[in-house]
Amino acid sequence: MSKIVAITGAGAMSEAMRQMNPDVVPAFPITPSTQVIEDFSQFIADGKVDTELIPVESEHSAMSACIGAAAAGGRVMTATSSAGMALMWEMLYIASSMRQPVVMTLINRALSAPINIHADHSDSMGARDAGWIQLYSENNQEAYDNLIMAPKIAEHMDVRLPVMICMDGFIISHCVQTMQTEDDDQVKAFIGEFTSTYPVLDTENPATWGALDLQDYYIEHKRAQHMAMQNAKRVIEQVSEDFYQTFGRKYALFESYQLDDAERVIIAINSIAGEIKEVVDDRRAKGDKVGLLKIRSFRPFPYEEIKKALQGVKIVTVLDRSESMGAYGPLFGEIRTALYDAAEKPLVYNRMYGLGGRDLFMSDIHQLFEENKSYLEAGRVDKVFDYLNVRGG
Amino acid sequence: MSDKFRLKDWQELPLGGVVPEGGNSRYYETGTWRTTRPVWNQENCINCLTCWVFCPEDAIILKDGTTKQGKPRKEVAEINYFHCKGCGLCAKECPVNKKGKKITIEMVAEVS
Repeated sequence: MSKIVAITGAGAMSEAMRQMNPDVVPAFPITPSTQVIEDFSQFIADGKVDTELIPVESEHSAMSACIGAAAAGGRVMTATSSAGMALMWEMLYIASSMRQPVVMTLINRALSAPINIHADHSDSMGARDAGWIQLYSENNQEAYDNLIMAPKIAEHMDVRLPVMICMDGFIISHCVQTMQTEDDDQVKAFIGEFTSTYPVLDTENPATWGALDLQDYYIEHKRAQHMAMQNAKRVIEQVSEDFYQTFGRKYALFESYQLDDAERVIIAINSIAGEIKEVVDDRRAKGDKVGLLKIRSFRPFPYEEIKKALQGVKIVTVLDRSESMGAYGPLFGEIRTALYDAAEKPLVYNRMYGLGGRDLFMSDIHQLFEENKSYLEAGRVDKVFDYLNVRGG
Repeated sequence: MSDKFRLKDWQELPLGGVVPEGGNSRYYETGTWRTTRPVWNQENCINCLTCWVFCPEDAIILKDGTTKQGKPRKEVAEINYFHCKGCGLCAKECPVNKKGKKITIEMVAEVS
């Protein structure tokens, strides 16, 4: 039966993995994702799952083993962070191109150097072109729910792509929050059985995986992958609806918070959305027409849907927690692209915050709403891009 | 060209670039790679099958035959030029060629 528990974000992920009982989990520990595998290996030791855990010598090997185990016909999961995923880089592309529905918990952490273990999104944002579906989570509950939806999305025959479930390192992964876990049997029934395509262990039907693909076919394979990612949008919505019917919590490609009549909107990803909601509530109570659009699916990116959701909005502040040196933030680029075709374009600008775990306080968010208010009154944006909370301005 | 070799549209491709059948390298015409061609002189061949052992493409085709005493044995039938890359290993390893008095397998230039 479902339970209300106090648990860390990382703990919630290992709990979801225990309930889903994957066939194989190849993993290499890295802060702040370590607890996911640490807790999960305890479940294995206690006989609560019959998963094969493969302790590997690096993350490159972890993802390689994921691909191999998935190709062999298993349901496969892993977890990593930051430099760990950076070391998987080559294999991330191979997992998605070989259309293996691997499910990975990615606990967002800054990339070195200087070495830093705290939250920003430079790891996952760098991997945005790797062909993985990326779902982001505001809190423990969303991370848990996203992970339970992940296999159904990844394994859908119109998709067959790997999925990474992202959450902020430490802020979510290591903080205890109360949340609802669901019944083991219900979770198992929800995700169903995994049927693999062309399993390499099927010796009756030999198949070749990872063959050479030159000028005559490579681009056709990429085109098919592109279509799978397009299909993923519909499948994410479908699976989210199934999840709502089964467990009662509602999810979409993004969350619209007080957007209906909002004039000034902040768009953000992951845990900061929690603070922004508080600030929106504060200001709404005083009659200020502000709102939040929180991204859940960054890949695939819902351009049309976001354009529609922002109809009537007059100014949009996009918060990025990942640098793209020499360019605007990655989220800003997508949002401005989504708005280019809008009949009435709102003003839109970009603020960089929180790199390496730097806090953004509620007072800062209030200030952002004051700033976009003055921009709106002036009818123009003074600075399209700027840093928040950095010494020296 | 048969439909088997038509370049497929992206919608028709098996998932993830899989080749969903075994042993299909037999359909690959590696013979087009050849710059020199082995020519087999049957009258000099002692059917020792050394060329068949060494050929990396399995391009030496055998048939059933008999020894002078009437015992069954395998004999060289022909060279499969669809697969032969012209590497010259057969000519190099042929013991008749090595003795130097006769030539059983001769490498001649391909003329396009």
